[in-house]
Amino acid sequence: MLPLLYVVLSAITADPAVWRRLWNTRVPELFLNTLSLSLGVAIINLTLGVSLAWILTRYSFAGSKTWDWLLILPLSIPSYVLAYTYTYLLKRGGTLEHVWQTIAGPEAVVFSPFSFAGAVLVLALNTFPFVYLLARSALKNFNVSFEEVARTTGAGRVTTFFRVSLPLIRPSLIAGLFLAILYVASDFGAVSLLRFQTFTYAVYQQMTGRFDNTAAACLSLVLVACAFVFLFGERWFRRRSRFYQTTGRYRKPVPQPCRPLTALLFTGYLLLVFGAAFGLPVLLLVQWTVTAASAGDISHQFFGYVWNSVSLSGLTATAAVLCGIPLAYLACRRRTWAGTFCVQGAYTGYVLPGPVAALAILVLVSQTVPQLYGTILVLLMAYLVHFLPAALQGMESTLQQLTPNLEEAARSLGARSLRTFFHVTLPLVRGGFLSAWILVFVQCMKELPASLLLRPVGFDTLAVRIWLEASEELYQLAAPPALLIVVITIPVVLLLMRRDQT
Amino acid sequence: MRILFSFFVVVATLSLPSWGYTDDTLVVYSGRAERLIQPVLDAFQTESGIGVQMLTADSTALINRLEMEGTRTPADVLITNDSGTLERARELQLLQPAAVAGLETTIPARFRAPDNSWIGLSGRIWVVVYNTTMVSPDDISSILDLAEPKWKEKIAIPSAGSIYLQTGVSVIRAIKGDEVTAAFLRGLKDNAGSFVYGKNRQIVTAVARGEVAAGPVNHYYINRHLAKHPDAPIAPLPTDQGKQGMGVVLNAAGIGVTAHTKHLKQAQALIRFLISPQGQRMFADVNKEYPLNPDVTAAPELLPLQSIQVAGVPLSRLAELRDPTMTVIEDVGLR
Repeated sequence: MLPLLYVVLSAITADPAVWRRLWNTRVPELFLNTLSLSLGVAIINLTLGVSLAWILTRYSFAGSKTWDWLLILPLSIPSYVLAYTYTYLLKRGGTLEHVWQTIAGPEAVVFSPFSFAGAVLVLALNTFPFVYLLARSALKNFNVSFEEVARTTGAGRVTTFFRVSLPLIRPSLIAGLFLAILYVASDFGAVSLLRFQTFTYAVYQQMTGRFDNTAAACLSLVLVACAFVFLFGERWFRRRSRFYQTTGRYRKPVPQPCRPLTALLFTGYLLLVFGAAFGLPVLLLVQWTVTAASAGDISHQFFGYVWNSVSLSGLTATAAVLCGIPLAYLACRRRTWAGTFCVQGAYTGYVLPGPVAALAILVLVSQTVPQLYGTILVLLMAYLVHFLPAALQGMESTLQQLTPNLEEAARSLGARSLRTFFHVTLPLVRGGFLSAWILVFVQCMKELPASLLLRPVGFDTLAVRIWLEASEELYQLAAPPALLIVVITIPVVLLLMRRDQT
Repeated sequence: MRILFSFFVVVATLSLPSWGYTDDTLVVYSGRAERLIQPVLDAFQTESGIGVQMLTADSTALINRLEMEGTRTPADVLITNDSGTLERARELQLLQPAAVAGLETTIPARFRAPDNSWIGLSGRIWVVVYNTTMVSPDDISSILDLAEPKWKEKIAIPSAGSIYLQTGVSVIRAIKGDEVTAAFLRGLKDNAGSFVYGKNRQIVTAVARGEVAAGPVNHYYINRHLAKHPDAPIAPLPTDQGKQGMGVVLNAAGIGVTAHTKHLKQAQALIRFLISPQGQRMFADVNKEYPLNPDVTAAPELLPLQSIQVAGVPLSRLAELRDPTMTVIEDVGLR
């Protein structure tokens, strides 16, 4: 919260000429780009997410259970890794162009990865599981009676789907889209490698390309304002559209077995989406890693980067959980005005894209404790501001499930509050806190913009290495750290899904 | 939970020393691509036994960083690919005059700051790379010609963030003024379409493949490409030659000692090494840049620098030209 205030302050005190220049030249273009990118991604996400969820909840065929979890694996690939594999696949004379030319003739060309289409493709493939996951759980808990009523009154399959089923799962879809759009608007990795100008990328460019940070602060302010409008818009929209189960007549949808040909068609579709979003990129990474390893490019330096990433992420995760405990406690047990203020303040980290969080910390530190600049602590602070909300959310919901009666019982038996906490509360919420820790750890491993801007000398993280090598198009050198991050993230993604299902 | 916690306390304590840098290593802030500078620094380490640690980032970002770190900076030297950025650092009093014996006789004065706060190490000229099967060298006499409508969809250009584009545009602005420059950039933007690249190397590759006919690049990327693919149909074209021509844009990558270094001796040793024939040879042979020490000859395949007319804007002026140039570039809407 405090860092954000500093950004706002330095944006407001900026020279009006800077503002005028930005309004006239950059803001409209950036706004249009960010908006159209989000919309493009949203449309593809909806199509992919809903169709995949529909197939997997309504039909059963060989392997349909396996697809269920395979389809969320794309979440384990950081956007910049997906982007860099696609700059390779889509480049002129690249693999996809060869494939396309054998289909459409030798003159055919694929679109450049450094374009609107390229950015939409990469980010859509990276984020469709958000929509898929929410659509799936909505469709699974769907009351088929509604559909049956529609069918018996003469509506066809298609009409029923569009007029009955789709509107009913709308709240989930909107929630999924909201997540995806927030992700797109705050993404730095993919758009920077694909050089697609969005607000977030422009903030970074202004920070690194100009001799003062005023313009970056101004753009940040516009971006944060948009994010807040979006956030409240989403709340308002969700409140307006709620559907309730009013009668007791609830029937779960039963997956129908389908004909071999249909099954084959479905499998082909699933394979295509999965291959594009996960299979192909990971295969490339493995291949490059093998090449790099056999060429002796994985040196002792590589293990240094691994250590940097792991130790910093571990430290941040621990710090996030430790900071989160009192905040989650405040939010769940003592609802006071000041407490709510603190908790909501911590949540503002959510609407701060990486470069903005980095800028905020940078300005804050330089004005208060400049001695800290260039040390590991600054990077830690930036991570914390950025990822505390994620930890807090998990911890809050865990703590909420724990009835206060248990704590009260301990207190009434004479245990002091600290003792109660360590002996009663903590053992019970350990699982939830642990998964919050893991979540923050993984997010930190993937974090790019703040690491890039704030890292101390000799402290390159895995993500920084990937980005540096990938922007030089040294595909092989970027592959080993990228593969490592994916491998670390996969179990976490699966863990989160399992929690989501139970 | 407690075990986990104590585990991380232990990890943190163990890792703290590895996060610092040991006292006698030289810390280099470098705005150059790692693969263009690492070999030379490695050679210096073996030669002198002085350890070197490097932080690679955007040149401008490094200046911002030095400014913010002030007297506490861990950096001992600043290396960038652009003299303008170094001059800017000098104006901000982030650098100190380098007292290196024999400097004045080794590097010509036009490649140094007047007070030796920064020293040019290697030169590069901004030329047009063209595909020899598609373009005759007579088609292009000035770099401004690339903005003509006949090059629509036929040229590749660098993205707005690249320093050499900013330098090139700065020089053109200084000579031709804002109007001509803006018109030139608009033409470039229209002609390039989607052929906007972040790296020189990508432009050279696109020209070699015949996807586009020509594009402006730093000369050594052409020679580096030819060293790998001797048959590539590409050639460098120094533009704006002759009596009326403004000359090609020349820029120098260079080095400066930070004002608050704690390793002055080691920093001086590095500079001595980099301007020595041995260091200069590496810039010439590995990178294909022009060595600025006149005793060292450029790679034989390069156009001799003496035969090329160079734009008469002093390197030290590039600093003041930069910010207004950025504004022009952004106004035109280059990406």
